Formats: sequence, C-alpha cells, structure tokens
Amino acid sequence: MARWGMAADLDRCNGCGACVVACHSENNISTVGDEQASRGRAKHWIRVERYWEGDFPDVRLKFRPVMCQQCDNAPCEPVCPTYASHHTEDGLNAQVYNRCIGTRYCANACPYNARFFDFFNPSWDKPLQLQLNPDVSLREVGVMEKCTFCVQRIRGAQLQARTEDRALRDGEIQPACVQGCAAKALVFGDLEDPESHVSRLARSPRGSKLLEDVGTQPAVTYLARATQV
Amino acid sequence: MRAVYGLYPNGDSAQQAVNRLRAAGLADREITVISAQPMEDCEFGEMDKASWMWWIACAGGLTGMSIAFGLSWVTAHSWPMNVGGLPTFAWWPNLIVIFELTMLGSILATVGTLIVSALLPRKGQTLYDPEVTDGQILVGVEDPAEGSIPGLQATLGAPPGARVKTI
Amino acid sequence: MTQPSGSKINDDLLRPLFHTSWRFFLLVAVFGGIVALGLSTWMWQARNGYGITGIKWPVYWGFYITSFVFWIGISHAGTLISAILRLVNAGWRRPVTRCAEAITGFALMIGATFPIIHLGRPWLAFWLAPYPSDRLIWPNFRSPLVWDFFAINTYLTGSLLFLFLPIIPDFAVVRDKSTGLRRKIYGALAMGWRGTPKQWHRLETAMQIMAVAIIPVAVSVHTIVSFDFSMAPVPTWNTTIFGPYFVAGAIFSGIAGLLIAMALLRKFLRLEEYLLPLHFDNLGKLLLVMALLWGYFVFNERLVTYYGNEPAHMAVFWRTQSGTFAPLYWTMVTCNFVLPLILLGIRRFRTITGCVIASIGIVIGMWLERFLIIVPALGHKYLPYSFGIYRPTPPEIIIASATFGAMCLLYVLFAKTVPIISMWELKAADHLPAKHPHSTAKEQRLGDSHA
Repeated sequence: MARWGMAADLDRCNGCGACVVACHSENNISTVGDEQASRGRAKHWIRVERYWEGDFPDVRLKFRPVMCQQCDNAPCEPVCPTYASHHTEDGLNAQVYNRCIGTRYCANACPYNARFFDFFNPSWDKPLQLQLNPDVSLREVGVMEKCTFCVQRIRGAQLQARTEDRALRDGEIQPACVQGCAAKALVFGDLEDPESHVSRLARSPRGSKLLEDVGTQPAVTYLARATQV
Repeated sequence: MRAVYGLYPNGDSAQQAVNRLRAAGLADREITVISAQPMEDCEFGEMDKASWMWWIACAGGLTGMSIAFGLSWVTAHSWPMNVGGLPTFAWWPNLIVIFELTMLGSILATVGTLIVSALLPRKGQTLYDPEVTDGQILVGVEDPAEGSIPGLQATLGAPPGARVKTI
Repeated sequence: MTQPSGSKINDDLLRPLFHTSWRFFLLVAVFGGIVALGLSTWMWQARNGYGITGIKWPVYWGFYITSFVFWIGISHAGTLISAILRLVNAGWRRPVTRCAEAITGFALMIGATFPIIHLGRPWLAFWLAPYPSDRLIWPNFRSPLVWDFFAINTYLTGSLLFLFLPIIPDFAVVRDKSTGLRRKIYGALAMGWRGTPKQWHRLETAMQIMAVAIIPVAVSVHTIVSFDFSMAPVPTWNTTIFGPYFVAGAIFSGIAGLLIAMALLRKFLRLEEYLLPLHFDNLGKLLLVMALLWGYFVFNERLVTYYGNEPAHMAVFWRTQSGTFAPLYWTMVTCNFVLPLILLGIRRFRTITGCVIASIGIVIGMWLERFLIIVPALGHKYLPYSFGIYRPTPPEIIIASATFGAMCLLYVLFAKTVPIISMWELKAADHLPAKHPHSTAKEQRLGDSHA
C-alpha cells in the first residue's frame, strides 16, 4: 500500500501562482467573484503564502505553497460526525462531499486552514464554466472541500497500471499543481518507496514539516532555502 | 362503580376515618385516600410507600448502557474507519455516549414506571371528587360488599366535620 | 411575610389561566412577530446559501455557535438548581422550581436549533442520529458533535420530563376547575391523577431519581459543549480547564436568566406573595458565588496561557487583552465580575432591582464570553497568512436576536397554560413530616428549617 506525499522546495518556488491556477481548473473549484473573494470566500485548495522578512530596504520575500498536508494524525477527521472526513488506506484525508452536512468543525480543527466551505452553489466567471473536468464532482452549497492530492489522477494512474499489469512508476502520478509548476518546486510520489524522488527529498536535511509541533504528522515536506542571496 | 366516601376538612379527622375503617376490618388496600397534596404529617400519608422504582431505574440505566455499548461497538466495527489515528473502538470518547444513554435509560424507566404503576386509571380505582382540589381530604371505600353500606356510612360520618356521600 | 395557603393558592395561581387580558395577546403578537422574522430570515439563508452571513475563511463559527453555547448555558439554571434544591430538601425552593425548570426546557429547545441553523446543509441534520441507513454508514461516535447530539437529547428529554412530572397534579387541579374542551385537554394531561398516597409517593420517588440522574447529565452537557472547542488544536481552545469553566459559566448565566424571569413573572402575574425578596436574596448570593467562581476560572485560564508563553497562544491572548477584541473583553469582565461583586456583594444593593441589573449584565457578559472564546482564536490560528476577522451580518444578528423573542414567546405561552408555581408543592409545605419539632410549617416554607 502506498503512502502519498509531497515535497515543496522553497528554494525553487518563485511564487508565480501557476499551481493555484492549475488546481482551480483541474478540480472544478468555483470562482466566487471578486466581491465574495474580498469577503474571504475564495477557495484556493493550494495557496502561495507570501512573507516578508527584514526591514526596508533589506527586505526578503519568501513564498510557501500551502495545501492540505494530508496529515497522518489529522485533527479534521475525528471531529466529523458523519465520517465525511476520514482516512483512506493509502494515507489520504478523504473528504466525501455527499456525506458532509456542513458543520465546518473540520475547518476549525485544521491548523493549516486548508479547508474551504461552499457558501453558494458553484458558479464560474465566464467562460470558465466551459472547461470543467469530468473526473471531479461539483460541490453543492453547504459542504466542505479541500485539496485531495488530485485523487482522481492517483486512481486513474493506478487503474492504468493495473490494466497494463505493471507497478506504478515513480513520477507517473502528477497532481495538477506539480504538473503546472514550471520551476519544479513541487514533487509528488510514494513515501513508502525509499527510492522515490519524494522520499529522498523528505529525508533531506533541508526538510521540515509545517507546524510540526502541533503533532499532525503531515505528508508534505518543505525544503528550506539553502542559500543566502 | 359504587362507593361510599367521606370528605374531611383536615388531616386529623381524615386520620380518624381511616383508623375507624381499619377497626371495622378493612385492609389498607381497600381504603381509598385522596388529598390535594402529600400528607406527610399524617400516618395515612405513609400508605403504599414501598416501591421498586429505584431498582427499575437502575435496570433502565443498565439497559441504556448496554444499548449504547452495543451501538458504538457494532457501528464502529461494521465499517471500521480510520479517523485521525484513533482506535476503531475508542473507549474514552465512547464512554461519553455510553454515559448519556445510561442516564436516558434510567430516566425513561422511571417515568415509564410512574405512568404505568401509578397514573393510568384502572378498574376499581376510579373514586374521585373534585372538592379535593379545594383542600378536602377524601376517605372512602370503592365497591363495598353488599349490605355493608349503612355500616360504612356510619363509620365514615363519625369524625368531626365529615360529609358522607354515596354513589 | 408569610405565604398564602389552601384555596387562595388555587385562586392566585389559576388566575392567569382563566382570565385573559389584552396584554397577553399583545405579548404573543409581538414575540410571535419576532420569531416569524427570525424563521423567515433562516429560510432565506437556507435558500440563498450560507454566504449571506458574515462567516468566512478562516472564522467558520460565529454568531450561531456563540448563541448555541449561550442558550445551552442558560438552560443550566433550571433543572440543575431545581434538582439540587430538591435533593437537599431546601424549603424555599418550592415557588422557584417550576419557572426555573421551564427556562431549562425552552432554552434547550432554542439552543438545540442553533447547530441546525448553522449547518451548511440543515436539511441533512438527521444524519447525526444513529439509524441503519441506505448510506450504510453510522455516525462517528468519536466526534464531539455526536456527543453533543446524545447529551443534548438526553438532557432535553430529561428536563422536559422533570418539568412535566410535577405539573401532573396541577393539571388535575385545572381539570377540576374547568369545563368543556379545556377540561378534556387538561384531563388527558393529568393522566388520571387523583392524589392517593401511592401516587404522591411514586411521584416524589420519581422526582428523586430524576434529580439524581439529571445533575450529572447537566454537568456532562456543558462539559461536552466545551469539548467542541477543547478537542480541536486551536490556540487557547485546546485546554483541560474548559470543561469546569464552561459548566461554571453555564450555571452562572442560567441563574442570571432565572432571576430576570422571576422578576418579570412577579411583576406581571402579581406573584408578590409567592416570589419573595428572600428568594431573590438567596439566588443573588448563589449568583455572587458563581461570579467569584467564574473569575477564578478566567484567572486560571489567562495566567496559564500567559506563563505557557507559546507564540500562537500569546497572539490570541493579546488580541483579546489589548488588541482588536479588548473593548469586548473588558466589557465582559465588567459585566461578569465587577458589576455582580458590587451589586450582589454589598447587602444594601442585593435587592430585587439590584439582582435584576446584575443579571442583565451577566447575561450580556456571558454572551460576550462565548463570542470571545470562539472568534478571536479562529481568526488567529498558527499561520499568519490566514489570519482573519469576522463581522456579523444583519441576517445573523436578526436570527440570534429572534431567539430571545422565541424564549419570551414560549414563556408567555407556558405561563398562560400552566400554573407557573407548583401549587401542590406550596400546599405540601403545610403538611411536612413532624421531624423538626421546633420549626413550624411556615418557617419551613420560608427555608430556614435547616439552619
């Protein structure tokens, strides 16, 4: 059984936001319009957090792409009364939209604020409604949604490998954000396989987990910026 | 229904009536006493005090506890779900639901016992007079034996302030 | 001042049931209108989506959960206080218990609607109930919200029965005093009550058992409500003190609500001979104790956070202490601690008016307390990028306020249909067992029999 994980090299990330756009188009994330976005209703399953360090004029800009960390000890899971949020056997935090009744407890429990609530039925700024992905279900008003590590691509690749009677190859599965990252800052793969690219990065001395002291055991490793420019 | 009863203005004369009925050979279960409030200052207020209610409440609590335990055990194992690394059947969290249903079980058992054993009207226990509401105390005999009515009327009429009625 | 007895009790306490003034219809119309406004606003919210509220990423709980905790807290006066007073057999409880228990029932009904109002898909709220469904899935018994479901349902069932059982003999009185349809309805409600020694003993035994059962349930309910917060790894939420802190706060706000209700009933139903200054004085003292206890818990919670000095916790700490939420925070401290200490601690001020002013302050302060627990922490979790602030919108304010109208409406209807003071328990005070030879029945009724 696999254990999916990701590594984000902050040395490579230039904050372009291509991952955010790729995620929106892959996962049918509705655009809520600028007025609602300004009221805090935008749903970016992956976001690029920007932090400034130092005092002017010696200011450094840092980027950190943050998505659902797919924690092993996920605080969002036990609090859900209907099992809408639960753990799959390959270590993903599944979110079953049809089971969700919208208590939003999972979002409060999430230390990363990686979960988003559908305040309205989905709608898109034209012409984005013409490019919906048939592999991903739309979310009704009143449910929670979040990054799935593009579970539709994981399952698709697994099926493909099974029909061809072979094992999955490392790098065969690419979530939309990984695929869209021109700087190759994001790497996805199986953490159970010690030879996979993501496993090697996860063992890197530059690696750390986000909010590790909260005890959530996330599956995403961040590689610190190594050089002082 | 036939009945002979007296209405008494206070506990003392009602107590006298009860004592006289007992002296006339009636058992406590044949005597009907009705008052608008519990008469804990009178001896007749102590009639019928024994009750199994506490035990029934405990049994109800045990039933609730078993239901809760069974429910949480069966549902947890019928489709084991991993949430946040907790065990499938997690004792500490499940104790909460078990506690609540235990208490619910004992409460429902208590109320059920009260309704069935004391409230629902049953044959031979329907004697009533609305004057009780205004503070009169009713002491009487339901379905008296044939021929005993004149004797009962005399017995019930003896205490001070008594008004005897026959229906 | 002694209390009336016998048929005067019947006359005084049945008067509101048999005589209807225009004021009753006015009250029902006003409060009914407020409730209708709240319900239609909720319909609008269910129809147009949750977006019409001020809830946003990352503050996903706001006015509704605040009101939920607040109303569940208010419910902790009635049944709990009444059960404790029954168990210790405090004589002065007699005129107070029923109006207190009614508060519990109604506050719980209102409080229990808020989790449904706040749901994203309220029409699926029944999925919390354990039943074999076509989804082949049961509720998650490890979720605090499922504990809430069980705890509140147990408490609501228990409280309503605890309220209903001692009304049965009074239903019988109304049955005997009325005619026609009213007689039939009350006759059915009285369930064949006559007043035999057996019935009195069974009723009192049942009330004893219920009292024993309901006290731990009440404590568990607000502890479980506090678990909704303390089970989540949110700064300042994840603390063990929340259980007792919430229970103390709940009893605190509950007694305040009870005092306000008692003062209104006393005035509008002319119950000056029943609800005596003594009752306000006794409950005022209890309120003072709870204010001190509340202060103690807040001090603990604050000091431990301050000494722990974790950055994420301290950010929330300073946000309430001197930042955005400081005005609300210090209003809360004034309302919940300073004001009650002055008005209830100084004997000269502990009058009915003083108690009511302190109680109004406490109700406001306790509402703010819940708001200040929920919102600052959610808007200030660990990652600074996701900090946010919440402002309520008119629909939320209307719905939250309308529940106060709902409480008043239910209470008015209750006082109209049920004797608001337990008549038989007042009468029983004249027929206590002669266990205390040197105290008369009247003294016992006034509550100093255990001095």
